[in-house]
Amino acid sequence: MVAPSPYARDLKLFGTRRARLRLAAAVVALGVLPFVASPFLLDLANQVLLACIGALALMLLTGFAGLISLGTAGLLAAGAYTVGALFREFGAPFWVTLPCAALLGALLGLIFGLPSMRLRGLYLAISTLGLHFVMVYLGGEYEARQSLSTGVMIDPPSIGSFSLTSGRAWYAVLLGFAALALLISVNLKRTRTGRAWRALRERDVVAGALGIDVQRFKLLAFVVSATMTAIAGALFAYFRNFVSIDAFSLYLTVQYVAMIIIGGMGSIPGALLGAAFVILFPYAIEALASYLPERFSNTVFALDYAAFGLVMILFLLLEPAGLVGLWRRLRNAVTARRAKTAS
Amino acid sequence: MSLQLVANVIVLAAIYALVSVGYVLIYRVSRVLNLAHGELMMIGAYFLVATSSLFSGNPIVAIALAALCGLAMGIVVYAVLMRWMTGEAVLAAVLITIALGILLRGLAVLVWTTQQFYPGATLGWHNPSVRIVPGVQISAASIAIVIVTAAVYLGLFVFLQFTRWGIRMRAAGQNPLLAEQRGIRLHGVYALAWGLSTFTASLAGMILALDSGVESTMATIGLKAFPAALVGGLDSLIGALIGALIVAAAEIAAIQYVNPLLSDVVPFLVLLVVLAIRPWGLFGSREQLDRV
Amino acid sequence: MTAASANTPLLAIEALEVAYHRTAVALHGISLKVMPQTIVAVLGNNGAGKTTTLRAISGFIGIDDARVTGGRIAFAGERIENQSPHANTARGIVLVPERDKVFPNLTVAENLIVATSHRANAAERRQLEALVFAFFPALTALRQRLAGLLSGGERQMLALGSAIICKPELLLVDELSLGLAPVAVEDLTRRLAGIRKELGIGILLVEQNAAVALAIADYGYVLENGRVVLEGAAADLRGRREIQQSYLGQASGEERRSYRALRRQETERPNG
Repeated sequence: MVAPSPYARDLKLFGTRRARLRLAAAVVALGVLPFVASPFLLDLANQVLLACIGALALMLLTGFAGLISLGTAGLLAAGAYTVGALFREFGAPFWVTLPCAALLGALLGLIFGLPSMRLRGLYLAISTLGLHFVMVYLGGEYEARQSLSTGVMIDPPSIGSFSLTSGRAWYAVLLGFAALALLISVNLKRTRTGRAWRALRERDVVAGALGIDVQRFKLLAFVVSATMTAIAGALFAYFRNFVSIDAFSLYLTVQYVAMIIIGGMGSIPGALLGAAFVILFPYAIEALASYLPERFSNTVFALDYAAFGLVMILFLLLEPAGLVGLWRRLRNAVTARRAKTAS
Repeated sequence: MSLQLVANVIVLAAIYALVSVGYVLIYRVSRVLNLAHGELMMIGAYFLVATSSLFSGNPIVAIALAALCGLAMGIVVYAVLMRWMTGEAVLAAVLITIALGILLRGLAVLVWTTQQFYPGATLGWHNPSVRIVPGVQISAASIAIVIVTAAVYLGLFVFLQFTRWGIRMRAAGQNPLLAEQRGIRLHGVYALAWGLSTFTASLAGMILALDSGVESTMATIGLKAFPAALVGGLDSLIGALIGALIVAAAEIAAIQYVNPLLSDVVPFLVLLVVLAIRPWGLFGSREQLDRV
Repeated sequence: MTAASANTPLLAIEALEVAYHRTAVALHGISLKVMPQTIVAVLGNNGAGKTTTLRAISGFIGIDDARVTGGRIAFAGERIENQSPHANTARGIVLVPERDKVFPNLTVAENLIVATSHRANAAERRQLEALVFAFFPALTALRQRLAGLLSGGERQMLALGSAIICKPELLLVDELSLGLAPVAVEDLTRRLAGIRKELGIGILLVEQNAAVALAIADYGYVLENGRVVLEGAAADLRGRREIQQSYLGQASGEERRSYRALRRQETERPNG
């Protein structure tokens, strides 16, 4: 057998034995989970999986391509409302609503990406902020028109007599979607597109001079990211059987931004870790709150807010490389200590 | 357009102008966009709630004390948090202000709960509706805010043009490196900018509290006022004033002639239009765009 | 005027190494001295390392991710390498940079108001201000003019003036003559010499134009590719043929050669 060229070897996802073992362990853990976890934990896992999709989408856009966007909540809303509106008006099934959500996501990605042709950094972020409020307005307008003060109720997706309601079934579906999102992200990262995006992030003027079609890749990043996010929003609508504009606040966007920061900007495992962290965080706070005086435990959401803000500040100040950075530091410290005691 | 509408525009513009002055101060001096500004305004209003219950018989003391706390708050925020971001990437600083805003919102509810407060009532003030001219009715607090906004702008103009610290602030905003080389302590200048910013924000918050009460959702006005600052140019004081007028006029016109639900989104539509045509705003300096 | 006695150097640099981004070495171990109350010229072309040297001394070296990686810089006996720019300004090391040397949207008067020295009390500051207008009387008429609208020469005067108000012990001037007409340059250098005399400070003058610098300097160093290739009293340097050919543009018809090439040529030809 001919040994693969060095480049091909680099490109292989699981070239080393250790990587393959890790993959096997992960697959086993993930496969076993739905059978050993309580319904509560299973629901948590489902929430994390769902968040992973949005986190990966944002990470592609901001972490890879360096395009700042505060539009996540708006795009999630778009996907969710596509499902809600199509279901309510036409009783459309999921194999119609999901592609429509994806299509709308792509279209919105184009729109959200247009400002990036002229604007950078802070001003680009501001433009996406403006678009967020436009999306929120449109969602609110729809609800007002339809006199839906409490949002849209949606039936679970079904094929024939099978209805997607159980936690385990959702786990399988969400795991599939998350794995797909992961695969797309990983592949985009290591191919030409990913490299172009990284060049964009560093110095887009230079990238342009090197012949990279800056405009096209910027738009591509927005379109891919928005499509993924819209699909996540659609899944969210089905998962909760419910859509209401109140859920899609700026705070939701900030949570997703926090995911990729706390996890570690520009890193795929970072996005996943960050998603898990941010989703599980409120539950941890709630658990802690039971130890606090009565007054605080009554306003858990405020405690959650405050604690979340504090944690985000701490990460930004102390560990800008996020959980991945922390992990690396820990590992280096352990290796250093091991080397020291060995010598 | 009736006179009442014009009056409404002026009042709304004054609110937006007073709030957006804070964005401009910090941005002009340190290129940082303080997205916690709305929350800081809200805390300023809560300061008044606290002082008014302590000094319910003495409104002047209550207001002055609250305003002073507002000033101190900005300096503390800089000294404890923002100064570590000086010299770092602007985007990281902006993200920290977002996180700060979230922290403050949570803290506000933890300390003051979600109850609505009326410091005006505590101080014995009933905010009468005043008829300035036939056909035009506005609340007394609205008059106050127009006067205060005018005074603040005038005061800041004099400060920046004629005092040593004001000129230092302008210098630091233009070229922080050269400013350091000429002996200007950047940390001091930035702390002062933050102090002045939260001071004006607190004034706005307090007057709004006297007008219609305080509640934890007040902070959203901060975000709505931001387009006014951007339209004028994020580093221009006069721009913020003009921008506020434009946004307020657009918003009132939309509410009146199109659809009341548009009220929250119109400022951002104006923002998007300006970003599309002239991102650096009406009076802003153009280089800002590329420096980011 | 300074803490150092007449025999201790005001500024002493030994074997200084500076690298950008931890990889690109800009200075390969240079040594130079500025004695109190003298003017020292640092000559060389673009990229020779002159600006890097000034940045290392003034502390504004963090720009472009540069760091002092070896050697030492001592100011009045104290080591100052890799310290904050603020600390160095507080010591009295004042830099007049090559570009962006004034605040363009401030008037001349405001530019001068803004300059601060924490070591000068109010009376001293008033004295320094008076001195600035004595040295640069042209500025008096320009007080209300926006600095961005000044001519090159006027801007340089303003830059030097605002530097003086910072009560320098050591004045670092980067490319005094760049972009100025020869008449303006001559005028400025004369005034600079006067400033040295009046304030009793040390001046480190970085220049591409050797004639200008050597006209007022006491001592000079020539940098090339991050190394000192020649040093000596200004009078001697002026006379050296290599300098004349390389830096004073007096080579006849030949291509401009590096100093090193010329030196090699000199040493190979025994009778110079």
